[in-house]
Amino acid sequence: MVREVSESCVESLLAEIVLSYCSGFYANKPELAARRIEAIGFQVGHQLSERYTMDRPRFTDNLDAIKFICKDFWSELFKKQIDNLKTNHRGTFVLQDNRFRWLAHMSVDPSVQASGNIQDPSAMAENKSAQATGMHLYFPCGIIRGALSNLGIECAVSADISNLPASLCLAFIILMPLLWLSQNLFSSISLQNADYAALLVQSIIF
Amino acid sequence: MIVCLAVVGHENNPLYIQSFTESDDALKLHHIVHCSLDVIDERVNNPKKSSPTINEAFLGLLYPTENYKVYGYLTNTKVKFILVTTDLDIRDADVRNVSLLFFRKFHAAYVDAVSNPFHIPGKKITSKTFRERVSSIVKSFGLSSAS
Repeated sequence: MVREVSESCVESLLAEIVLSYCSGFYANKPELAARRIEAIGFQVGHQLSERYTMDRPRFTDNLDAIKFICKDFWSELFKKQIDNLKTNHRGTFVLQDNRFRWLAHMSVDPSVQASGNIQDPSAMAENKSAQATGMHLYFPCGIIRGALSNLGIECAVSADISNLPASLCLAFIILMPLLWLSQNLFSSISLQNADYAALLVQSIIF
Repeated sequence: MIVCLAVVGHENNPLYIQSFTESDDALKLHHIVHCSLDVIDERVNNPKKSSPTINEAFLGLLYPTENYKVYGYLTNTKVKFILVTTDLDIRDADVRNVSLLFFRKFHAAYVDAVSNPFHIPGKKITSKTFRERVSSIVKSFGLSSAS
């Protein structure tokens, strides 16, 4: 029994989640809002992975599970597969999607390009718009983390938007002993947003 | 005749146990389910090299006791379904197909129950809809295997 929902409804719902958590419930605490949104995504990913692994044979190892995420899971959620998968064979994987569906209809603030001569306000505006779009990435990160944890792979997921429109880079590290992690944390993932760094460290430690 | 159905989570925590007989040997059935968990672990960790179905979800007959036969099914998310029956006179080939079909339907019902946003992953399944669906699946299979 497959029921369908209109895609614009889903996008509106996601935008409203981010809006109400960031400006409503946790108005001055973006880290808490981010964690809450990510936790919602975690439960959704957990349940979705049950549904989408139903008719498939069992996975032989971690790489198989990650390939499932890149192909079947991603195409069920976003109607396309991952464009590029990179790994350092030591537990870090980078997934790249060149046109992330949920952010495809999101506009970039045009005033950033216009006020190029004044240095400080434009930098601030760019940072604010990057932060705003960054908030919308916590939910998909949570979904991926939930799906992987249900398949038996505990990891930390972070996402990065580079050259809009909508090119998304998702990186995750499989949780290993904390010492290795702290040595490799900031070298293996390029984090442009300080909030992501805080979230990543928090999600690893807790 | 299906005697007992159990769903066990990936840390061997029981998520759902239901017995379909009137007698109250529930404890004995729980014990049988518990023992079959060991068999499942053994099957998964030491696969026989000659077995072609190394990655299949359906594990087949786990072990026969004097009155019961126990079948197992392992999902991708390490959730185990265990089925205890008393049908001792059905041929093995038939049993495989029938059990596979049964487990497919049961898996679909389980996925729907787990997708309930009020269900807490790792805790017991308390949904009445799930209970009714499972009972109807068991009834339909009881009728078909009796014929």
